[in-house]
Amino acid sequence: MNLDKLLETGDRCIHKEPPACTAQCPVHLEIIDFLSEIEKGNFQDAYKLMEKRIPFHKIIGRICDHPCEAPCERSKAGGSIQISDLEKAVLEYGAYKPKKVWPLPKNKGRVAIVGGGLSGLTVAVDLDKKGYIVTIFEATNRLGGQLWNFVGDALTEELLQEELQAIKDKKIAIHLETFVDKNSLTELLSEYDAVYLGTSKWEEPITWNPITFQVGSSTLFVGGGLVNETDSVIFSVSSGRRAAISIERYLSKVSLTDSREREGVFETVLRFDISNKASLPAIEKSGVIYSREEAIDEAKRCVKCQCRKCIEGCAHLRKYEMSPDAYIRQINHNERIILGTHYANKMINSCTECGLCKEECFLDISMKAVIQETRESMTERGEMPVSAHDFALKDMAFSNSSRFSLVRKQPSKEESKDLFYYPLISFSDYVKGLYKGTGKTEYLFYPGCQLPAAYPDDIKSIYEYLVGHVAGDVGIYLGCCGAPADWAGRKDLINENIEAIKKVWEEMKRPTFILACSSCIRVFEKYCPEIKVESLWDIYIREGLPNKDHIKTSQTLSIHDACATRENSDLHESVRKIVSKLGYGIEELEYSKEKTKCCGYGGLVYFANREQCDAFVSERIGESENDLLVYCSMCKDLFVSGGKRTYHLLDLIYPKDNIEAATRKTPTLSERHQNRSQVKQILLKEIWREDPMEELMAEDYTLIIHEDVQKSMENRYILMEDILMVLKNAEEKNERFCNPETGDYLAKLRRENVTYWVKYSNEGEAFLIKSVYSHRMEIVEE
Amino acid sequence: MKHESNDKTKWLCDKCQRELELAKVKVRYMEGNFEVDLMKCPTCNQVFIDEALALGKMKEVEEGLEDK
Repeated sequence: MNLDKLLETGDRCIHKEPPACTAQCPVHLEIIDFLSEIEKGNFQDAYKLMEKRIPFHKIIGRICDHPCEAPCERSKAGGSIQISDLEKAVLEYGAYKPKKVWPLPKNKGRVAIVGGGLSGLTVAVDLDKKGYIVTIFEATNRLGGQLWNFVGDALTEELLQEELQAIKDKKIAIHLETFVDKNSLTELLSEYDAVYLGTSKWEEPITWNPITFQVGSSTLFVGGGLVNETDSVIFSVSSGRRAAISIERYLSKVSLTDSREREGVFETVLRFDISNKASLPAIEKSGVIYSREEAIDEAKRCVKCQCRKCIEGCAHLRKYEMSPDAYIRQINHNERIILGTHYANKMINSCTECGLCKEECFLDISMKAVIQETRESMTERGEMPVSAHDFALKDMAFSNSSRFSLVRKQPSKEESKDLFYYPLISFSDYVKGLYKGTGKTEYLFYPGCQLPAAYPDDIKSIYEYLVGHVAGDVGIYLGCCGAPADWAGRKDLINENIEAIKKVWEEMKRPTFILACSSCIRVFEKYCPEIKVESLWDIYIREGLPNKDHIKTSQTLSIHDACATRENSDLHESVRKIVSKLGYGIEELEYSKEKTKCCGYGGLVYFANREQCDAFVSERIGESENDLLVYCSMCKDLFVSGGKRTYHLLDLIYPKDNIEAATRKTPTLSERHQNRSQVKQILLKEIWREDPMEELMAEDYTLIIHEDVQKSMENRYILMEDILMVLKNAEEKNERFCNPETGDYLAKLRRENVTYWVKYSNEGEAFLIKSVYSHRMEIVEE
Repeated sequence: MKHESNDKTKWLCDKCQRELELAKVKVRYMEGNFEVDLMKCPTCNQVFIDEALALGKMKEVEEGLEDK
């Protein structure tokens, strides 16, 4: 995995970028924090933030020309936050007596400041604090320069005097009425280690470095009015502070230019979507300054601009409180660990790879792509925890074994001859379709693995519908597309699987695949785009729905689109058309179509982190009061398990009289296996009229399994088949423990990489299963 | 990974009809090989692992090794 490229992706994330107000503030007051403190009524903490960032905060806070307010995002929804007025309120309600600071020994060099105005005073105070011997040369008879022009209601003369006195108290040498000209400047330059020129005018043009404020490579630095060309007080203190940084760097002999990109005003790359915020006008002041309550209310209007679009939409990012930049740094760290614990493994396996983050991102950053690459890297290096995806991969292997997998061409005309003589049957579309058979497979119906597992009774009906409706022969292909291998990062397995699918496709002379599962569609598009595919739902719209009078009760449904279909807008339309044709109303969810969410199954999160999966389920099912309509069988099963009434599209197209489809119990893991095998048997027997395959497992044993044990089987991924094999081994070889007091037996069997344990007792001819559990660790019995 | 069974009742090896004894047993997972004290049949060496051990300490060690 290219970690440098990965980190570059993380660096593009704008989550941690400052808001426009802070970026446009020349001294970068942390305005969101500042407003948050006010909002909480913590005026003193807000004051501390001003004190930390703003030179002469007591003065500037009262007279600042507030360039922060114009770019405020709130201006688009009610008016900019009144930051300047809030600063005045904070100075009033949050000021406290400053702590006594012990001055540093003055031994770091001598600096002359020409001009005792705002910028010069800033340089003087900043450098004095750092241990430089500072001397101010001021042409007039007082310090402060243009500050005196601001004396009035906001800035009283008393306060200004007080602040200037504080400078004098620092024992900074001050020479008033000392005019410095070109000649005397040359003298100062030779006498002092560095000179700061902060006068508003100078007798000849000077050029300086716009980043360092250094004049050429000399010991002269400039700032204030000379540099700013405005009378903005905040720009003036900012230039002084930046020049002071340069002087210190220069005298400490370190780079003057390193990491100074974001000093002064800069354009933030942050983008913020305020469109969903209600407009709120600014709070009016009842007096000269805001009252505490008014200040709190005004601060509350701040929307705290930060890009969280991906996080807000995703239960996974919110659970780990991760933005893509932070997430990527964790992945980077996880990938680089050689010895030690890979703490991020579980997090990486808790992403559903649904792709909503990219859809929400201004910059199209796809955590789905990052996670996929990371999982592939983990499996390649043998760092992927086996237990995370083991069951799902075994389930995939089952689906591609002879117990489910099947490839058949449409029954030939010759084989179907007998059907054509029955007048009634010959009226059926299916038989008409068989009659038109050409022997060339135009279509191959590929229902996937989870649909047959959940809807075993409908696969034959769908097949017959297809034969009767689409033009050309329709074959069938049962198997798993390989989505579990893709999600698990198993490139080896997915490629092997795709090769097998392509081989069938070639042998059948390249038919169009008819897909019913959203995950299959995604896998086919990703791994074998050369195979033409059509969605079953699109075909229903093109060829007409199979039944005419299907609707039981008209109701409004909310459609949960399958995340794998995110980019497939035609399919979204087809699904909606089917639902409408069947007579149901539709109320769209906020997150739907290209912005749909994952049910929680995606990325195999169901297996890797059940708690995370549950968080996805409960969030999604809480988004609508209506019953949900889905078209992926895993979405249906998870939502129903979560307690939400949910229909699968097939429930509406092929309604059953005897069951309440919206609450139908989801099949267990074992039933999923049985149902798939049953689909194969039904098709072989009833469509191809072949002898059913032999039962692989002779079920000689009668088991009694109560609900609590069934639940543990599900949660621990233990199949009926595992239990039967343990019992068979125990009964045949007597390899078990017995408990004379209770009459219980405890038996075990290692199957592949897992040891299964079953506690049971004999109940007449039957076995009562009392508990089941497993472990992966291998016990060496010798 | 020393483990005392919570199961207070006595289990016997059904094959050998012998009481189980605490003994050093080799276990392995991924690249980890270690010895732990577990109950086993002194005759046929069948090792007894109860539910609390399998789902508790053993699972914890498995997960720890998987994340190494």
